[in-house]
Amino acid sequence: MSVELDSKHFDQMTVISIAGSIDALTAAAVTKYFKQELEGGHPRIVVDLSGVDFMSSAGLRALLAALKQSRQMSGDLCLAAAKPGVERVLKMSGFTSILRTYTTVDEAMAHFG
Amino acid sequence: MNKTISSQICRAAEFESLASFRELIDATCTGRAGLDENTVYDLKLAVDEACTNIITHGYAGKNPGSIILNMNVSENQIAITITDFGHQFEPVEGLAPDVQAGLEEDRLAGGFGLYFIYQTMDKVQYETTEDGNRLTLIKRLSVLEEEEQ
Repeated sequence: MSVELDSKHFDQMTVISIAGSIDALTAAAVTKYFKQELEGGHPRIVVDLSGVDFMSSAGLRALLAALKQSRQMSGDLCLAAAKPGVERVLKMSGFTSILRTYTTVDEAMAHFG
Repeated sequence: MNKTISSQICRAAEFESLASFRELIDATCTGRAGLDENTVYDLKLAVDEACTNIITHGYAGKNPGSIILNMNVSENQIAITITDFGHQFEPVEGLAPDVQAGLEEDRLAGGFGLYFIYQTMDKVQYETTEDGNRLTLIKRLSVLEEEEQ
């Protein structure tokens, strides 16, 4: 299982959709993709997790790196539409206390609207 | 009455094999009564983190070796044994990583992997023998049912 990333740019934010698994094999690609988006001048990010079937601690580290960089650029990063397993990982790790999570992408987009 | 189901695979100790280990868990658990989605995810998470540690630390500085994953599903519990032939690397339980500190300081928070293994499994055993290092992960299904009530 690999990982696929797509981004859509709006006036107020960028929505990055991830599909597949984020593990020790694929996390580097996720980190690189977010870094390119951020350095391309898109620090306000909604991450659509609806296509992510599995995420390990390697995925959390990738998201944490992106979150830190976005806030250093006066932006923010929020998560949307996580499946139950991924949501459990986010809660266990304490991620839900340091960033906003939303049930749907539309709700997350409203955060920046 | 459920019967015990056993399965086993051996794969190279490399990140490319992680998906194979998760697929074995999915295949072994599919259709099994009493195994909900969260339980299956917990198993995949614990195995993924344990195997990532073996690949990263257990085989560090050595030629890439193998990891053998053995899975036994019975009525009351699931036992997964992970065997490797690298350096001894016991996954010791630690405190929950401070994600807030990881966000504020100039470093990435680590230690999530071990924390997840102990959070999701009911029993974690490690032993080193002449035949390799063996990590056993136990998930008790009866405990899960009690938690859900």
